[in-house]
Amino acid sequence: MSEPDSPRWLDEITDELRREVSVRPAWRARLLDDVARAPKPSSRDDVDERFGDEEELAQHPARRRRSITLGPFTGLAAAALFVTLGAGVTYMTMSSRARVHERERRGTTARAQAVSRTPTPAEREVVRFELSAPRASRVALVGSFNDWNPGTTLLSRDPASGKWVVSVRLPPGRHVYAFVVDGDVTADPDAPRAADDDFGSTNSVVFVSSPRT
Amino acid sequence: MIVRLLALVIAVASGLGAAQAQGVDRTLPAQLSAPTRATLERLIDSARVAGLPIDPLYSKVREGVFRSADEPRVVVAVQRLARDLGDARAALGDSAAAEEVTAGANALRAGLHRADLSRLRDARGNKSDHPLTVALVVIADLATRGVPPAMAAASVNELVTRNVSDGSLMSFRQSVERDLVGGRSPASALDARTRAMIEDERRRP
Repeated sequence: MSEPDSPRWLDEITDELRREVSVRPAWRARLLDDVARAPKPSSRDDVDERFGDEEELAQHPARRRRSITLGPFTGLAAAALFVTLGAGVTYMTMSSRARVHERERRGTTARAQAVSRTPTPAEREVVRFELSAPRASRVALVGSFNDWNPGTTLLSRDPASGKWVVSVRLPPGRHVYAFVVDGDVTADPDAPRAADDDFGSTNSVVFVSSPRT
Repeated sequence: MIVRLLALVIAVASGLGAAQAQGVDRTLPAQLSAPTRATLERLIDSARVAGLPIDPLYSKVREGVFRSADEPRVVVAVQRLARDLGDARAALGDSAAAEEVTAGANALRAGLHRADLSRLRDARGNKSDHPLTVALVVIADLATRGVPPAMAAASVNELVTRNVSDGSLMSFRQSVERDLVGGRSPASALDARTRAMIEDERRRP
């Protein structure tokens, strides 16, 4: 059972909380037997053994062992508290990432209109891909950044220049790519070529500057 | 139970982080047969153990599937790339970044020797915070366009020694390419553009 809007991981936690712990009957019997036979512990003796004599304990009361016994309901409440804390931390982390993502989105859109490959710390960079193919009816971009999936990144015709264009956010580094023009794979004539042609045709390379360069 | 729950929460949180940091899909395409997948997994695992970048290997597999290459060819391509990555790592040193190693492997594929890569690393000298990725991409590109690899490596070495920026290296590449398209010989184009770039750098305050 899950709440209508709750994320999957929260459902997993809820299920884990609700799951009944099953123990083999033989194990249960042996455990109860062991517990019944065990000597009753004397907490005061234990304290003296572990932390020194009474005099020392009197001088340092903080050294006394404090035992906390939780009833079933208190234990459940403690578990719920831990889960809430964990969920809170996760939520805050995700919110923070979402804010960064949104900031990146806004920032890169603005930069795309000005300078396309200016390095910025810890941000992906907008790279504008262009191809002149006046007679093409469909142009896609494939590469190491979109798992070579021709359905992911389609170019559109720029009314001003007549070129096929698309802007993609890429992390700093070296990216290999190609265009798919009406089903035919072709390298970018305006970009450096990748030297590997393992599969019979050459790819292009785009380099996105890192903050260090 | 509480420990298990906390572990679950931490696992969920860290899993989210890893998924966001990871750029390449590190799974093998389902179109591949089970024996091919097993072979590729072994190969990629070996590369991982050797400390080589593995994203280019996954990417190579996907490229092969995209280009409808037959499975043995995909395996050979991944094997070859893994070997080149290893050679590039050996030439560039253990401190080389993944991007540098990948670009180095590509440069080897374009006809450079390991010694060329090592010379480039030495040319950078103690400016170890400056990656050689662009320099390697430029050399590989020039070699792909018909410039003798040793000549391309020597010119770019010269520029790297003089601390030429990555942007200038890319301009250098474009200038040489324009000259080649215009009918100039590779040796002549390279020589003229290298001199011009060095002169520009000298004039710079």
